[in-house]
Amino acid sequence: MTLLNANRQNKRGLTASLLIMPATAFVVLSLLLPMAILFRYSLNAFVPGKFMVDALTADNYIKFFTDPYYASVLFRTIRVASICTIFCLIIGFPLAYVLARTQSHFKNLLIIAVVLPLFVGNAVRAAGWMVSLGNKGAFNQSMIALGFIDAPIEIMYTELAVLLGIIAVNLPFMVLTLQSVIESIPRHVEEAAFSLGAPPLKMFWLVLWPLAIPGILAGTILTFILAMNAYATPVLLGGPKFQMMGTLIYGQFAQQNNWPFGGAISFILMTTTLFLTLIAQAFVTNKK
Amino acid sequence: MASLDLQSLTKSYGDNRVVADVSLHVAQGEFLVLLGPSGCGKTTTLRMIAGFVEPSSGNILIGGKDITTLPPWRRNCGMVFQNYALFPHLTVAENVAFGLQMRKVESIEQRKRVKDALTMVRLEHLAGRYPREMSGGQQQRVALARALAIEPDILLLDEPLSNLDAKLREEVRVEIRELQRKLGLTTILVTHDQEEALTVADRLVVMNGGHVCQIGDKRDLYERPADRFVASFIGRSSFIEGHIKGQGLFESTDGLQLKVSREINLGPATLAIRPERCRLGTSAQTCDNHLTGQVEFVSYLGSALDIHVRLGTQTKVIVQLSNQESVKEPQLGETVQIGWASTAGLLYPSDQGRESYGGL
Repeated sequence: MTLLNANRQNKRGLTASLLIMPATAFVVLSLLLPMAILFRYSLNAFVPGKFMVDALTADNYIKFFTDPYYASVLFRTIRVASICTIFCLIIGFPLAYVLARTQSHFKNLLIIAVVLPLFVGNAVRAAGWMVSLGNKGAFNQSMIALGFIDAPIEIMYTELAVLLGIIAVNLPFMVLTLQSVIESIPRHVEEAAFSLGAPPLKMFWLVLWPLAIPGILAGTILTFILAMNAYATPVLLGGPKFQMMGTLIYGQFAQQNNWPFGGAISFILMTTTLFLTLIAQAFVTNKK
Repeated sequence: MASLDLQSLTKSYGDNRVVADVSLHVAQGEFLVLLGPSGCGKTTTLRMIAGFVEPSSGNILIGGKDITTLPPWRRNCGMVFQNYALFPHLTVAENVAFGLQMRKVESIEQRKRVKDALTMVRLEHLAGRYPREMSGGQQQRVALARALAIEPDILLLDEPLSNLDAKLREEVRVEIRELQRKLGLTTILVTHDQEEALTVADRLVVMNGGHVCQIGDKRDLYERPADRFVASFIGRSSFIEGHIKGQGLFESTDGLQLKVSREINLGPATLAIRPERCRLGTSAQTCDNHLTGQVEFVSYLGSALDIHVRLGTQTKVIVQLSNQESVKEPQLGETVQIGWASTAGLLYPSDQGRESYGGL
């Protein structure tokens, strides 16, 4: 009897492992393996004219942190990603709340409207921003026509344009994550707080916010990682002089052919993102 | 603690009137129950009192003061929800203290009142627990303590027992009633469970389709149901369709001649009889209505027996016998004597209250 049971359990275990094999294999082959290779490359030396030369050196990492230019790109990336994430959280929360609590028949339509920006490719979206924000764009032209300004405000190819662009792309991720968490908080819990004498703002800080923390954390981490790794938006809206880590890495690989240094920057970006995420998580869970 | 008045309270969503012209007075310290099937408007009425739903018209007065437009956080109503609605991230003591913090009660006083409220529901030893570490019954008692701690003008209970199992439900409802009496709290409870309603209420309001059908104490509702709906919703009744022939005589559609004591106008009518007012066997002959019929169905309920007796093609009456030692269970198909006093029958005009609820 027990033998039979054990046999049956073994079989079940075998089926389970067979079922998760393809996904596991895919992750190992397409993610972990290339990463390991990339890390190995980042320890190689780069000799102009000979490209990559086998070595075991930390020179690429030292170069990054000793050259103020590269450090400034890292800090700019962190700054842009942080501002975008905070903005997405501030403007995304009310929207997510309304979406979560609405009884409207058009709820699904509203959700599609939130996701709609993601249906548009990066190039098309960037073209849209150019048309609206450029010196001869809709915004500047109408401001001049109305007499608010004399000369166009320079928005395209500035940090502001990149911020706007990344927020627009990341906002749906934040809103959808928050919405699903707020939906899981019973409306009655809010009503209980009201009936006990808590005005809306107090209710928000003492009940809704602490209960939504898991969603806030997930949404924040998601948007932060996306912003840290942004590539298309900085290229298209920031212009050639505006460098973030993503564009820097691409430049090293595709234009300079400096794979060891590109690999090193990749790992620095990955580590920084992971580190900041863990700090945020520890900070939030501690506070709770 | 204060009295509560509802004046022509109405709530419409578009053309749909969920609560229609509800007026009632609840005296200070009274336990009132809003009773009715789901969708009858009882919960919406309660939520209007709490301030979660804005009335379309009408007024709500607490202690004579109009609070119709006040937001919920300025009403001082203690509310207990069906699903407890405790704050999952706070301990039991923090949950109970929440309302006191909002009222800026100083911390020594706060601690004392939290302790008192938890003692009242016999949970002072679990003050440090989180809601998820407690049973449903305990959670509901915490919710009650939380609502009591703010010393509310009105205590509102929204089906507070329906998530508990039967045994616990009886316990908690007795506990709620005792506390309410001890504290002299003006209390409104919403439920669809008539047994629960009858146990705790000073007075009951039966609602159906957004309307108040009847307001009264338990005896009023049970002995003198205002309409066919109340007769079917409070307790059980067998209904016989027919018409009044005059001189205390009622004729059923299948031709049975039945004596009735209360007269209404001539014409189509429904006669309602409570199962426990019917007699079976030789004792039936002493009643002024006695007939013979066939036993169609017997259900054994433990303390009682329900005997379904067919009297005519369209007439069936249920007799409830209490399960005494002497009771002999009739066999299916057996011909039996059945009788009831003409005073036990209730008459309703047929065109009224047709949307009966669970009639027999």
